[in-house]
Amino acid sequence: MIGLNHLSKHYGDTKAVDDVSLTIDKGSVVAIVGTSGSGKSTLLRLVNRLIEPTSGHVTLDGQDTRALPAFELRRRIGYVIQDHGLFPHWTVARNIATVPRLLGWSKARIEARVEELLTLLSLDPAAIGPRFPHQLSGGQMQRVGVARALAAEPELLLMDEPFGALDPVLRGKAQADLRAIQRTLGTTILLVTHDMAEAIALSDRIAVMRAGRVEQFAPPAEILARPATDFVRALVGEGERAFRYLSLTPVGSLAEAGAAEGAPLPADATAAEALNALIWRGTESLALEGGGRVTRSALLRAGHP
Amino acid sequence: MKRWPAAVLLVLVLAFLIRPGLFAPLLAPLAPGGGPVIYDRANLLSLTLAHLGLVAGAMVPASLVAVALGVFVQRPAGAAFLPLSRSLTGFGQTFPPVAVLALTVPVLGFGTWPTLLALFLYGLLPVFENTVAALQGLPPSVVEAARGMGLTPRQRLWQVELPLARPLILDGIRTASVISLSTATIGSVVAARGLGEVIIAGLTSQNLAFVAQGGLLVAALAILLAQAFALVGDGASRNRATPRA
Repeated sequence: MIGLNHLSKHYGDTKAVDDVSLTIDKGSVVAIVGTSGSGKSTLLRLVNRLIEPTSGHVTLDGQDTRALPAFELRRRIGYVIQDHGLFPHWTVARNIATVPRLLGWSKARIEARVEELLTLLSLDPAAIGPRFPHQLSGGQMQRVGVARALAAEPELLLMDEPFGALDPVLRGKAQADLRAIQRTLGTTILLVTHDMAEAIALSDRIAVMRAGRVEQFAPPAEILARPATDFVRALVGEGERAFRYLSLTPVGSLAEAGAAEGAPLPADATAAEALNALIWRGTESLALEGGGRVTRSALLRAGHP
Repeated sequence: MKRWPAAVLLVLVLAFLIRPGLFAPLLAPLAPGGGPVIYDRANLLSLTLAHLGLVAGAMVPASLVAVALGVFVQRPAGAAFLPLSRSLTGFGQTFPPVAVLALTVPVLGFGTWPTLLALFLYGLLPVFENTVAALQGLPPSVVEAARGMGLTPRQRLWQVELPLARPLILDGIRTASVISLSTATIGSVVAARGLGEVIIAGLTSQNLAFVAQGGLLVAALAILLAQAFALVGDGASRNRATPRA
């Protein structure tokens, strides 16, 4: 469990982060969402002490992180940034090995770990490992950045706009991959994004920040159904609220017995995807893979709390 | 870049140093009637080695000091010294080496030491400025990642910052060394051994052949030195997308 306790960072009179307290359960994904200048990146960097807080502190499994030298703390916390920040003079394998080497792992253990991570991120270890970062595509660099952050099995993974530099198609793929990896490894993730759709797609809980303060900290469905303030309401985007709400529900949970025309939909598709298909096909109901169907009225009912 | 012109030049220089007599017919028209064509008061090869020794003796410490200073003023503890260091190295560069010789001979005596000091001061600025520029021009995301991964300040310097700054620092050392190679000729006015001796002998005895062989030799060495640095630099930056500031 990670605890942020009354964290504040003041620059003169400006309160970049103002008395923020959050608790992050082990193995969960928390997204910090806010407009630019809301203090979300500063808050993230207070956690691994790239910025030292004016007041307050962070606990990692109950241990006050101020008890450690900052560089030792950072070796226990993975860190992914938007421009990936790969070391251009090192190969991919050497980049991924950064923290294990700092921790003095054996050569054999490092090599095995590098190979394991490259495979996990669907990169061919033999082909990609010996390359230099400038020989990779943007999507590959981003994945290597994630692999490097995960290398030493960190207790917490911090991600600062990790997909901001990717085009929409790659971003969707990267989000799905991250979610799959997170389920496999059970890593605790604290992620910063300005994209509410990304936060809803990835996280178990969302912290909405504005002017250095957390306005609401709740699961995505709660944020959509009951935004605590006008700012949260605006950020959620009332124009797309129903679709975002639908995107939280797997269509399989709305299934009923019966048959329907047309190609069946995978049961793990979201209700938003199902409604989209239904509108486009102009039908009343959709067949699901593995039997059963979902009707228009069931989908419409699921679109609001 | 094609390497053969430099290779040809190297062969010519070596041939001239080992068998200067072979080139006598070329230089003879420049010599005064009946005068010597090839400088004969000292062995040209040993003068060349002494000349290169002067340059190395000044540039190795100048580079070490300038790089160390360049690194120091980027650290939190040294940031306040950046303007002062700029002024000092700038002063070293603008203060004429001849004046340094004139001022230091009374203290250090004639010979090698005043020349080494003049070349040392002259070489600081290009290396210092390039070191500062290289370190300031590092990609912010890479520096941030190095901190975020948990590298200590010393590990960041040796493993990330200096390797990435190396091409630009080498550029500075190359520039300073080439300048130093030609400037070293003035050392001969205070009796430091070097190729300046040949040029000055030519000037005092009005023997244009001496001036030409001394001057051309220094110029050829400067070109070869620059090429040698390019070779080292290529080796260092192969396979790397190293940003150049």
